[in-house]
Amino acid sequence: MEYLLHILILIGIYTILSVSLNLLVGYTGILSIAHAAFYGVGAYVVALMALKFQTPFLLNLFLAIVASGIFGALVGIPSLRLRDDYFIIATFAFQIITFSILNNLVDFTGGPLGLPGIPQPNIFGFKITTHVEFLILVIILGGVTFWISNKIVKSPFGRLLKAIREDEVFVRAAGRNVSDAKVKVFVISASLASIAGVVYATYITYIDPTSFTIMESIFIISIVIIGGSANLKGSIVGAVVLVALPELLRFIGLPNSIAANIRQILYGALLVIFMLWRPQGFLGEYKFGKEAVRSKESEIRSKK
Amino acid sequence: MMFIYLVRQSVSKTVNIQYIFNILLYSAVTIDVAISFLLIYIVTRFFHFAHAVVFTSGAYFTFLFSKLLGCSLLVAIPLAVLCACTLGCLMEIVVYKPLRKKKSSSLILLLASLGIYIVLQNVISMVFGDDTKSIRTWPVVEGIDVFGARITEVQIIIIVASVVLLILVAGYLSLAKTGKAMRAVANDPELANISGINSNKVILISFAIGSALAGIAGILVSLDVDMTPTMGMNALMMGVVAMIVGGVGSIWGIVLGSLLLALAQNLGVWYISSQWQDAIAFAILLIFLLFKPEGFFGKKLKKANI
Repeated sequence: MEYLLHILILIGIYTILSVSLNLLVGYTGILSIAHAAFYGVGAYVVALMALKFQTPFLLNLFLAIVASGIFGALVGIPSLRLRDDYFIIATFAFQIITFSILNNLVDFTGGPLGLPGIPQPNIFGFKITTHVEFLILVIILGGVTFWISNKIVKSPFGRLLKAIREDEVFVRAAGRNVSDAKVKVFVISASLASIAGVVYATYITYIDPTSFTIMESIFIISIVIIGGSANLKGSIVGAVVLVALPELLRFIGLPNSIAANIRQILYGALLVIFMLWRPQGFLGEYKFGKEAVRSKESEIRSKK
Repeated sequence: MMFIYLVRQSVSKTVNIQYIFNILLYSAVTIDVAISFLLIYIVTRFFHFAHAVVFTSGAYFTFLFSKLLGCSLLVAIPLAVLCACTLGCLMEIVVYKPLRKKKSSSLILLLASLGIYIVLQNVISMVFGDDTKSIRTWPVVEGIDVFGARITEVQIIIIVASVVLLILVAGYLSLAKTGKAMRAVANDPELANISGINSNKVILISFAIGSALAGIAGILVSLDVDMTPTMGMNALMMGVVAMIVGGVGSIWGIVLGSLLLALAQNLGVWYISSQWQDAIAFAILLIFLLFKPEGFFGKKLKKANI
């Protein structure tokens, strides 16, 4: 039972990560490989604040979100000026640099040894210690993330993002400030990602840089894509599939040494398969390229 | 200006031969990787991440043939290069070409490439283990003394091999029929097609040569510092940094970019500790991306294709 709750909590954490990334990748068409960096910022801020200053959980949560947002602006503002390919490489660079900072500033972040003994959340005297309590916490925070994202997606701003995804030049020509919108969504995405980091840090009570590597970023991207780009419910589906499926493998009796490899092979293979046969993922609507425009054109033509 | 001061200071410290050798060695590998990647990138215009695992596979195939199947290195190495070449071609045939046929965007190709990388890198980890493997049949030596610096014979081979490969590739692109066809496709795929060049065939050839070169690079590196399943990603990223700094599409740009990168990283180790090597490389990349995205020798690219 504890094990099942643990899986559900993980699904919750990854849902927050994938919903926030979906805003960027699925709705705005911006592929960022730096998402794990913001996840990490959230985790490290809450850990450092709690360990060094013993500040309360809600304050730490707030600070983590703000810090991640600021970091998001720092990364986003220069990077979003770059063309597609180069933007992706820039986020790759930021991801690696962030990892280096987390791993090398040993005095500050504990370096490779990480930060153990992170206090569990204490909200106005109500302590969150059991799995059930954490699950409720992650559901609440996940719900808030989903609600915010949904509001954004259904708003005029959300429609602007989709327009940018489909034809950026046209949107610019129509007089809208594209760079502004992109930076805004990038910062929002980063801030929401940090929430997942806060939950992760206070749940596992130990963090180290290896949880926030480029491979983690790619994993989150896979969840977004497989679950469904531009569909928030799809991100939940993706998180369920990619977190729960490999866990089922444990019951087949694979030796532990290769279990992690098989898990990665699974989502790597799913990524390739989906790109070949269903790039929009399970529930998504965005097919990542010209194909989407063409199929809509043929839809319109066939309706006539 | 501070940068120039630092460079002047460092130059006076590094006219030390050992440093020059280190930089030559380091850039040699980067040049190899970057050229092998460039051949594929200019023709296909997408980020073939899985190239990193083709690089790694060269080394591991050699390990398979020499240590596990008992062939001598003379036999194992060419076989391994052939296998790496085949692996790259398979990726093109099984995944990329079908995707191109569906008019998939370069983003889809990039994502598929990521998936391929993850699958194959983990296969290597599973089959061979995550620990460091070696194909060396000779003991680790200090190296011979050349003008007061130490360099091993293997390292000399690496530098020489890279120079040879560099000249061969440059010559191929300028003189050979398929090499010129590659440049045509790279320049303007539609025009190339209309002129009678089969772009699919050219792309397959670029994958074949690029993958073979990557395999060779992987083998060269492992002869010097052994192999791990994840060594490809790092090598590839350094190659990409060199490519961008030098200017995409320019071979001499790659040479300059690699030398610059090697210089900066070696200097970085002098002033700051070596754990920051990666960060330094990527910081340089970011500076170039933001202020000089066309690199040293590249063309200024249009912001958007209308």
